[in-house]
Amino acid sequence: MSASANHNLREYEQIATRLRLHVVNMVAPSGQGYVQQGLGAADIFTALYFGEANMDPANPTWEDRDRIFLTTAHNTAIFYATLGERGFFDTNLLTTYVQDGSALEINSCERMGPFVEATCGSLGQGLSVAVGCAMAAKRQGRSSRYYVILGDGEMQEGQIWEAAMLAGARGLDNLCLIVDYNFVQSEGPMDLVMSIEPLNDKMQSFGFDVQDVDGNDIGALLDAFSVARETKGKPSFIKANTLMGKGVSSLEGLMFHQLRFPKEVADSARAELEAKLAS
Amino acid sequence: MSETLSKLEAADFINRTFKPLPRSYGDALIDAALKNARIVCLSADLTPPTETDRFRDELPDRFHNVGIAEANMIGIAGGMARSGEIPFVHSFCAFVTKRCLDQITMQAAYPNLPVKIVGFLPGVATILGVSHQAIEDVALMRSVPNMMVLEPSGPQYHAAAVQLALEHDGPVYLRMKRPEKITEDPITQLPLAYGKGVVQRAGNDVTIIAAGLEVVEALGAAELLSHEGIDAAVVDMHTIKPIDRDLILERASATGAIVTAENHNVIGGLGSAVAEVLADAGIGLPFKRVGVQDHFCEGGSTDYLLKKFGLDSSAIAIACRELMKRKT
Repeated sequence: MSASANHNLREYEQIATRLRLHVVNMVAPSGQGYVQQGLGAADIFTALYFGEANMDPANPTWEDRDRIFLTTAHNTAIFYATLGERGFFDTNLLTTYVQDGSALEINSCERMGPFVEATCGSLGQGLSVAVGCAMAAKRQGRSSRYYVILGDGEMQEGQIWEAAMLAGARGLDNLCLIVDYNFVQSEGPMDLVMSIEPLNDKMQSFGFDVQDVDGNDIGALLDAFSVARETKGKPSFIKANTLMGKGVSSLEGLMFHQLRFPKEVADSARAELEAKLAS
Repeated sequence: MSETLSKLEAADFINRTFKPLPRSYGDALIDAALKNARIVCLSADLTPPTETDRFRDELPDRFHNVGIAEANMIGIAGGMARSGEIPFVHSFCAFVTKRCLDQITMQAAYPNLPVKIVGFLPGVATILGVSHQAIEDVALMRSVPNMMVLEPSGPQYHAAAVQLALEHDGPVYLRMKRPEKITEDPITQLPLAYGKGVVQRAGNDVTIIAAGLEVVEALGAAELLSHEGIDAAVVDMHTIKPIDRDLILERASATGAIVTAENHNVIGGLGSAVAEVLADAGIGLPFKRVGVQDHFCEGGSTDYLLKKFGLDSSAIAIACRELMKRKT
């Protein structure tokens, strides 16, 4: 991957705005949901799925694809929007989000298809699966890379540290963790529940190459992925600092895990994002 | 001095003889792995006690000791299985099931991956006490969709159990007990058929359906009963799930009384599985479950524990006599 200067950042930003518009449209009908996280993580998903990862939407089971594990499996509005825009399925399917019978459940589940690399609704498990894949790839001599989008609150789970310890000890340089550091967990801001700081020091001491980036800066994220790809002998950790509600002025910085999302707020959010797309 | 040290290193709480015990499972896994390049072996810092030390030494690039982290080990196995490998994961029964049930359901069973979960120290049979005893593991694993549950009755069936585990293209729980003593003769490996119980002794008065180490106890009970004119049959139900429904119904019809014997709590294990088959078929008959009677146990030698907790041949014989009275 080349550095950000070689990417058409403007195009990626347009994609991120389209993803945010999907998030608003998907969550709005139920009047509540994971809108803040979706808006906040839109730049991570854009950089990873559209810029960094090798994948073929026409052949989602391609053996040598890069794998992306979304272990915060509830952040699905942005995840499904990304898969749809990336061409894994028709974006019309997004209108069925969280409806009875739809495979687009609140917690992503592999019955949707192979682009859900593991069923991770029970927090803390996805990193272990990715570590297993990364170890198998090393043994089999495969070139695939393994990306894990972790939640910050999820890092309170002990299994994360079991897996991180092993990844560091085995020097899995085909593994890249991205923590979506939005600082909110179910009951509120992380420092009110249980701080996980100093996080970068912890990850470094577990044997990771650590980068701290603005998770809403697509160029910075792409640069970080390039550094991770070039790093040999150790796994990478990218602390991506994101802003809840990013891209919708009325929602930016509202720190709610589940947001009530009344129609008038959704309408104004939609209008703002549509205006940005038209500009 | 050096000999003393090597003896100390060899101690593992199962083998108390300091002499090499047969590794019927470990040898079978190596044989299978030499034929099937997809097989990999995972250990959580219990390599010799799970007979995987030969695998570690002879196929090192396919062996991973992931440290004392069983939940992580299951997730890793899921990732390896998704990458085309067939991981056999090893620990004691208590740790490789109870400690990581959530990971087993989500990362092995729900995606129906060929993760083979191998546990030693089944049931009460360990000196290591309540923390290391697994009297709930069969109940847990049996209730997980897609999971096959195997409990061979002795080392002579361990190679067959490895083959059955490979035949099932999905997750398997393999519950095994290492021999405690050195055997004079080499172990003759015997075959097993998928989902088919083995009639180890014919009999017309009562059928004892047993699994694991209880099969030997059941055969002992049948011998005791034969001197009293009671003709007891013994079924080795090595595949607890899917269970051999046809054989259970045939035995119910042939003998009209059934005793189950399991090295496990009587809730949710083999006895429950047999009762479910009978109840679903609308059959009521004299029936008794020998096993741990819904209480926690304690550590000790196997013979002591089987006697103390009512799992030995004498306890099985008592249950059979009681049923014979109820039959008349």
